[in-house]
Amino acid sequence: MSWLSEQEAKQKRQTDIGPPNYKEMLPPVIAKNYGKWKYHEVLTPGHMVHVAESGDKVYTVRVAGPRLLSTASIRELMDIADKYCDGYIRWTTRNNIEFMTTKEENVALIKKAAQDIGFPSGGIGNGISNMVHTQGWIHCHSACTDASGLVKAIMDELFPYFNEKQLPAKTRLALACCVNMCGAVHCSDIAVVAIHRKVPVIDHDLVKNMCEIPTTVSSCPTRAISPDPAKKSIKINPDKCMYCGNCFTVCPPINIHNPEQDGVAIVVGGKVGSLRKGPMFSKLAIPYIKNNPPRWPEVVEAVKNIVDTYAKDAKKNERVGEWIDRIGWEAFFKKTGIPFTFQHIDDFTFARDTFRTSAAFKW
Amino acid sequence: MKKYETPLLDELEKGPWPSFVKEMKRAAATNEMANDELGQVEKSYRDKRGYWKHGGIVGVLGYGGGVIGRYSSIPDEFPGVAHFHTFRINQPSGMYYKTDRLREIMDLWDKYGSGLTNMHGSTGDMIMLGCRTEALEPLFAETSSRGWDLGGSGSALRTPACCLGKSRCEWANIDTMDLCNELTQAYQDYLHRPAWPYKFKFKIAGCAVDCVASIARADCSIIGTWKGKIAVDQAAVKDYAKGGMNIQAEIVDMCPTGCMSYNGSELKIDDENCSRCMHCISKMTKALKPTGERGATILIGAKAPIVVGSLLSWVVVPFIKMEPPYTEFKELVEKIWEWWDDNAKPRERIGELIEIKGMRAFLEAIGVEPQAQQVFEPRKDPFFFWKEEDLK
Amino acid sequence: MEKEELKDKIFAFVQAAKGKKKLKEKDIIKGVSAETGESADNVKKAMREMIDVGKLMYSYGGGSSSVEIPSEEYLREKGMIQ
Repeated sequence: MSWLSEQEAKQKRQTDIGPPNYKEMLPPVIAKNYGKWKYHEVLTPGHMVHVAESGDKVYTVRVAGPRLLSTASIRELMDIADKYCDGYIRWTTRNNIEFMTTKEENVALIKKAAQDIGFPSGGIGNGISNMVHTQGWIHCHSACTDASGLVKAIMDELFPYFNEKQLPAKTRLALACCVNMCGAVHCSDIAVVAIHRKVPVIDHDLVKNMCEIPTTVSSCPTRAISPDPAKKSIKINPDKCMYCGNCFTVCPPINIHNPEQDGVAIVVGGKVGSLRKGPMFSKLAIPYIKNNPPRWPEVVEAVKNIVDTYAKDAKKNERVGEWIDRIGWEAFFKKTGIPFTFQHIDDFTFARDTFRTSAAFKW
Repeated sequence: MKKYETPLLDELEKGPWPSFVKEMKRAAATNEMANDELGQVEKSYRDKRGYWKHGGIVGVLGYGGGVIGRYSSIPDEFPGVAHFHTFRINQPSGMYYKTDRLREIMDLWDKYGSGLTNMHGSTGDMIMLGCRTEALEPLFAETSSRGWDLGGSGSALRTPACCLGKSRCEWANIDTMDLCNELTQAYQDYLHRPAWPYKFKFKIAGCAVDCVASIARADCSIIGTWKGKIAVDQAAVKDYAKGGMNIQAEIVDMCPTGCMSYNGSELKIDDENCSRCMHCISKMTKALKPTGERGATILIGAKAPIVVGSLLSWVVVPFIKMEPPYTEFKELVEKIWEWWDDNAKPRERIGELIEIKGMRAFLEAIGVEPQAQQVFEPRKDPFFFWKEEDLK
Repeated sequence: MEKEELKDKIFAFVQAAKGKKKLKEKDIIKGVSAETGESADNVKKAMREMIDVGKLMYSYGGGSSSVEIPSEEYLREKGMIQ
């Protein structure tokens, strides 16, 4: 690419132009049949075909993406697109990469070319697609676990569900490296969310200089924070603090990080589609597992246990949340062997809707 | 360039799933910033904690978003990540790319940044991960002169996102990619200049399958739907049965409204009782097709749990036509923003404000009538407001 | 009111809040509009012009965005001062 001089760049600098128009980015077969698709079929977990009213067919090969990609790898992926897909490539909302071709014979070639550079195909249909995740220690000040590492370890273990084995329904996994949850972690079939367990430590001198006291006080959802006029700072009532870290977001000198106590919780049973039962939040299955990098074996094992129990017990087309609704949470804890603790009983905003008001339940 | 030993991260190069460590090492081979990033992340793995400071005040001239300041808290040890800012480039709707256009971005990023990216961030932008403050203006000049622009951040409209809609999906009831592009272009000012109490997100799904998770994470969720019957192709139904599908168990028994019946050869739908959930259509796409008027359901208020619990979006407008230039929808959205902007405290999302002020106040402000489709059930308590006009 | 005079008022308004309160765009528009009798639209336009040339800048902290007077460091980086 030819570079602009500083002068030229300044002259050509534009604002508020928005992204390039999507129409410029569409493969010809997509542009031609836009809005005129008839049906599609999943042929393997790694590829599908869409058939248009015109009779045109487009084959899509989906490959796993780590989300964190180097420019070098993106260039190699584009080389594949140039060779087999007329120079077009696409990413999915779950960070997978898609190659589209009108030639069925290209499917195997694309799969092999992508596998050769480390990107296996899969993720379509009733299996486990890519795990949506956040930034973690790679790039976030708020992270209380890593994101990419946990995802790598979990997806290595569940890999057969990505590229060959089927589950009763599609199963969406996600990971958030703190409770801010950049991503729809709170409505996933199985999600890992990092949590704190200790009251933050306040650097009063810095609070005085860096933070607005009223804003900090009002940032607390449980009213655990009050002003400390003597120190021109704030104080925290430890009995009320539930370690959400919102105070840390508005006032950085309130340090909530605690490497020995921070860890992850596992929540299950969420979904976003309105199909059958409608969208659902994920609910707490395991309140805490310690951080154990680089491969978090305890978390991997816990997720696998839930997936395996679901795979054995659910009916066809039942998502994790629908399966648990049918069998009951008491049965979920029994079947998975996960202990039920005080942390599972809600004492926050939505508590009263969760207490059982019926004499019917299972042993 | 310093060579870092990374015994912990090396463990994450093993296994079949693509390795982010391999990606970091590839970039680190030629890029000082990526190299120090690798070193710092290894240290995080050793110490079980991150080493980033809170965001700082950086950006391109005139904009209040699109760049997120990021500084290492231990820059003496890792000078390459002393500055490591995020540069968000607004993705084209649907995340299709022509490779020659995407190569431009790669060239720019190799020249000015770390060579590391996220394809894509949670909101939908291409995330360019790590550059120095002084690189921002030249990088933006080059980026914008080639027809690309920044996405949103801060208390602003966030980059709208959509499913791929009509481009490759037979279920799309609305042209999600066109609407996404149109909203992005129409509201550039709100996207680049944070003027609001907090963030505001649009996500657009072509049907109730909701492949962009709009209902869980957008302040304004736009979900395509229809008003007519579901057309049944009985020959195709027979093919599904022949192919091994247990239509009674997998389709009819799982219909949430019980509006389907199957006698072993013919599938019948009582359309009046159908809630258009998409279960049957998604499983028997060759046999079942919506017909009649198309449009969208507008739902408002979803957000993650910070700070008093997660919200899913609530149905506000059960049905609205969604055709260019989308005037009716834009007028609605502008009324929503006005009410929110006038009434919300700092860092209050629209869903939280509706909870505080009441759904009635919100509906009245935006001129939407009460409709039974907006609720699962009416209230249980006997405490309700009467206004003077209700008494007439 | 002349635009330059309005800009001075805006600048003074932001300066007065420095170190006390983080101002959002809306705070400035409302405040200066009430103070000067200028329309909200005019204040907004003038403020935006100031932001475009680095007389004011957007800032971010504590989880939300605000408008501030730029630091010397920022102006140097943008080539506004040597």
